[in-house]
Formats: sequence, C-alpha cells, structure tokens
Amino acid sequence: MRSAESTELLDKPNERTSDAVAAHGDVAVGAGVVSKSAAGARSVGAGSVDAGGTGSVDSVGDSSVDDFDFAAFDTKESIFSYICRSLAELKNIKFALASFVVNNLRRRYRRSVLGFAWSLLNPLLTMAVMTAVFSLLWHSNPKSFGVYVFTGLLPWTYITDSIMMGSQSLVQSEAFLKKVYIPKSFFPLVAVSTETANFAFSLASLMLMAMIVGVHMNWTVLLVPAAIALLFLFNFSVTLILAVATVYFRDLTHIIKVGLSTVFYLVPIIYNLEMVPEKYRVLFLLNPVYYFIDLFRALIYVGQVPDATRWAIPGLITLITLTIAFYTLKKTDKDLIYRL
Amino acid sequence: MTQQIQIQNASLKFRIYRNRAPALKEAVIGMLTGKRDKDAVTEFDALKKINLTVRAGDRLGVIGLNGAGKSTMLKMIVGIYPPHQGRVLVQGKITPLIELGTGFDFELSGRENIYLNGALLGRSYQQMRQLEAKIIEFSELEEFIDLPIKYYSSGMHGRLAFSIGAIVEPEILLVDEIFATGDAHFVQKATDRMRHLFNSSGITLLVSHNLHQILDLCNRVIVMHKGEIVGDGPPEEMINYYVNDVAHLVKPAAAAAVAPPVGVSAPPGPAPQVEPQLVVK
Repeated sequence: MRSAESTELLDKPNERTSDAVAAHGDVAVGAGVVSKSAAGARSVGAGSVDAGGTGSVDSVGDSSVDDFDFAAFDTKESIFSYICRSLAELKNIKFALASFVVNNLRRRYRRSVLGFAWSLLNPLLTMAVMTAVFSLLWHSNPKSFGVYVFTGLLPWTYITDSIMMGSQSLVQSEAFLKKVYIPKSFFPLVAVSTETANFAFSLASLMLMAMIVGVHMNWTVLLVPAAIALLFLFNFSVTLILAVATVYFRDLTHIIKVGLSTVFYLVPIIYNLEMVPEKYRVLFLLNPVYYFIDLFRALIYVGQVPDATRWAIPGLITLITLTIAFYTLKKTDKDLIYRL
Repeated sequence: MTQQIQIQNASLKFRIYRNRAPALKEAVIGMLTGKRDKDAVTEFDALKKINLTVRAGDRLGVIGLNGAGKSTMLKMIVGIYPPHQGRVLVQGKITPLIELGTGFDFELSGRENIYLNGALLGRSYQQMRQLEAKIIEFSELEEFIDLPIKYYSSGMHGRLAFSIGAIVEPEILLVDEIFATGDAHFVQKATDRMRHLFNSSGITLLVSHNLHQILDLCNRVIVMHKGEIVGDGPPEEMINYYVNDVAHLVKPAAAAAVAPPVGVSAPPGPAPQVEPQLVVK
C-alpha cells in the first residue's frame, strides 16, 4: 500500500526535473574511449553539443532522469559546455543552495539577543567609529563623510568576507564532497551567497538610516541591485579560484588573510583618491576592487548614473575572472576530490 | 524505461600524502630545484580495469575483503570519484544509501534536516513536502521532529537518516552496508522496507559483509579483490568461491571462522582486516 502511494507521489516531481536533466544528459561528452555497445542502449554521435570536434558525443538511451556519462580525465569538453553542465547541475540542487544559505544566516545570529539586527549594527558601529575618527582628523563634514565611508566600507567588507569564507569552503566541506555527489562550485557559491544576503541587508538598512539622519539620496540608488549583481559575480569567481587553489596549497589561507588586510589601505575607503599624490595614483587604479567601490559610490554617494566606462571596466574584470574561474574548475574538476 | 550501469575498463587510484598536501613553500622549492619529494606521495590503485554491466532486474551483491574497492566502486558509480581511466555510464536515477545522514545540521530540527538532506540527494522542495509526512511517520519521531537533532539519541538519529533515504521508490538503489540502527522494532521495520525497495527498484547494488543477506536478497554476485572483479555469477557459487578461495587466500585460519558455509544460520562476523596494498610510484 505504501509503495503504490509513493510511486504516485514521485511520478510528478520526476517529470518536473526531467527537462533540466535532459539538458545535462545532452552535454555529457564522451572521450572516444572504447564504446562497448550493450543492449543498444547508446546511440553514438547523437548528442547536440560539439566538443571541439575531437570527442564523440554520446547520448545515453532516451536521455531520461539523471542519466549521465562521465568519462576519464582525457575528456575533451569545451569550456562552454562545461559551464552549461555546471549550471545545470547547480540548478538541480538550487533548493539545497537556498537551504544552506538560510541556515548559515540563521546560525550566524542564533542565540544572540539582537539576532539579525547585528547585520545592521555591525557595519553601523564600525562606520560610526571611522567617521568620528577621520572627520576629526581631516575636518570633513561627518554626515556626508559617513556616507562616503560606508559606500566604500560595505562593498569592501562584502568582498573580504566572501573571499575569507569562500576560499576555505572546499577544504572544509571535504567530508561532504566525499560522501555525496555535489558540483564543486556549490560550496563557494553558498559562501558567497550568504555574504551577498548579508551585504544587501546592511546596505539597505544603512541607506535607510542615512535618509533618516537627513542625507539626501538620489533616485540612482535604484540601480544598486545591478551593481550588487555585478559584484556578486566578481566575488563568486575570485572565491572559486581561491577555493580551488587553497585545496592545492593550504598555506594560501594565511596568505589571503594578510593580503586582504594590506589591500584595505590601497583602496580609497577612508580617504579620497584625490588625497593620493598624482604619481602614485596609477597604482591605485590598477586595483580591480577600486572600480566596484567607485560604482557604489557613484550610485549612492554622488547620486549620478555612472557613464558606460564605469560599468564596462568592472564588467570586463568580472568577465575575465569568471572565465579564469571556470577554466580553473574545469581543469581540476576530476582531480580535486583526490586532493582533499 | 530500463536502467543500466556500464563500467568500462575503469581504473581509479588514490594519492596518499605522507605530510598532507604539499605546502606552497615546498612546491615552490620543488619547482625551482626541479626535484620533487618522491616519498611524499604514495599511489594506491583502488580499482584496476573494472568492467561491469548491470542491467535492469539485477540485484547485484558485491562482496570482498576490506579494502577490496567495493565502496569506492559504488562512489564511482554515484559520481563522487571520477575514474582516472575508462568510463562509467549510468542510465536511470540513482538513490545512494551510502553514508546516511551526511549533511545533517545538528543545530537544525529534524524537520528542517529532512528538507536539507533531501535537497542534497537532489530532490526538490515540492517533492520533499509530499514525502515529509511519510518520512516522519516511518521514523516514528513525531514528538521530536521539531527539536534540534543534537538532542537526538544516536538511535533516533539513525532512524531519521534511514527514513529519509529509504522512503523514495528508487530506480537504481546503491546500498553500502547500511542496515538501520535502532530498537528491535525499528530494525525489523527497516529490514522489511529494504526488502521492499530491493524488489521494487530497477537495479540494486548491495555491498555487504553479511553473506546471508547477500544470498537472501541478490540474484547475482560479484567478488572483488584488491581492486579487481575476480568473480561474477550466481550468488551461491560466488559466495562459495569467496569463502573458499578469496577469503582463504589471505588468512586461511580466519576465513573459516569468519565466513561459515552457506546455509548455516549463525550470522557471519566482519571479514578479516587486510591492509590495502600500497604501490610506491
């Protein structure tokens, strides 16, 4: 009786997921290894993705739920089909992703009296201290200087927290990765997504706070989500690269920590780029982080729509880091589990 | 539709790092001086040129000594360990009952863990919503389901893990030595459930040291030894072969004591421990 019921129950969800998986099946690429055809289950060369012309593309039978074919290390899969496959796999476990992120956020504030309020209070207090110190030091208007600092500090905290949490995520989830099949990009994505949620909360509440204090906000703040999306992709790709690298060189964890605290002073967060002597300014402009912070500043602090180049530069940087990230992941995908 | 698993000429090896992963300093020095610390890495061939085709209707028992590569082969089929050579083809949805309870978050309630665990097994939220009541009912944890699972006893923990894994009707079922823990009542219930799953799934792979279980549940058995499949055939024949030849090979005295001949009702104990052979490269 029980069995009949659950078969019925399962029928529908299986159908629901089958399109995603079918796509997944289509991009599974064979390496042209011995293909011993058994029971006519496989049709060689029927797939839809061209793998650079070298490997034959096999689709297994009637490409049904969760069919897959992973061939050996010598697989000639194109970077594009690899990205598609990774995204399809991530899509399959998007619920796990959401549930991990929510649990992370919940756990972070569990048992603390103020709970979620900390995600607001934390940057607010830091900002208050910094504003007090530096407006005294540099005799600037504390109100607008406060906004100036937080539009730089919050994206910076977001970047560092993502990298710190995310770069260790693969090493830390060794037990997971060896017990269940999960795409390797899952845990870095969880770490960065958690920080993104945190960042969005902090940013929204601080903008609200600024308006209450009487700082004028332009309509350009409505474009902030686009900037967050861009920074999210940048963070995710950098984190992914560092997470994979950390698996191979565990010392990287410590190097990253020192490195980030050094870079902090090279980003115009508590000072202005105009304060930097002209001849050194180029050095600051070489820092990719600067362009993202500049974007947030333009939207929130200056209140103007950034021109095309101000979007294009961080966009291009993100595209480059994303490409490197997926290339790194593809290179190490099958070896990574043996290095953990 | 028919399920099928094909393993073609698959080999897999593990690297064992004597002093964990190479540190950056050593790697750089190694690169500069052009010599590598060869002693630091030992390679161990976990699977050697495995060829196996499992078709719908097969209830395949996998037996072998510890370290023979049984669990590794299962994990290779799931996709956790990709083969270094050869390939693995799977047709059908896999339900792995391997390492049950992986991913349990001890701070979360039993109910939340049902969703989390289901998600890790690749099931959707809607699917888990429909299964939630059944899982809770099967685990008999109604009173405790909203309590963080860190307050659960190990038996309750095991019951929840088993219930989540075993509630679906799998197409391909992979079982690695799990038979539920808990009180006698739950063990009986779980055993019945397993029997049902075995009969209803398209393909079953069972790794077990319990030869009676294998004889009882399987219609085909493979014997693994040191990363190779050394026998493939009907259960009775293969179990005899394993008991007499394979287990015998290593420790003649222990084998007789450990694995009683088929038909004796006393449950066999664990197989003798054999050190995996290390191949220094």
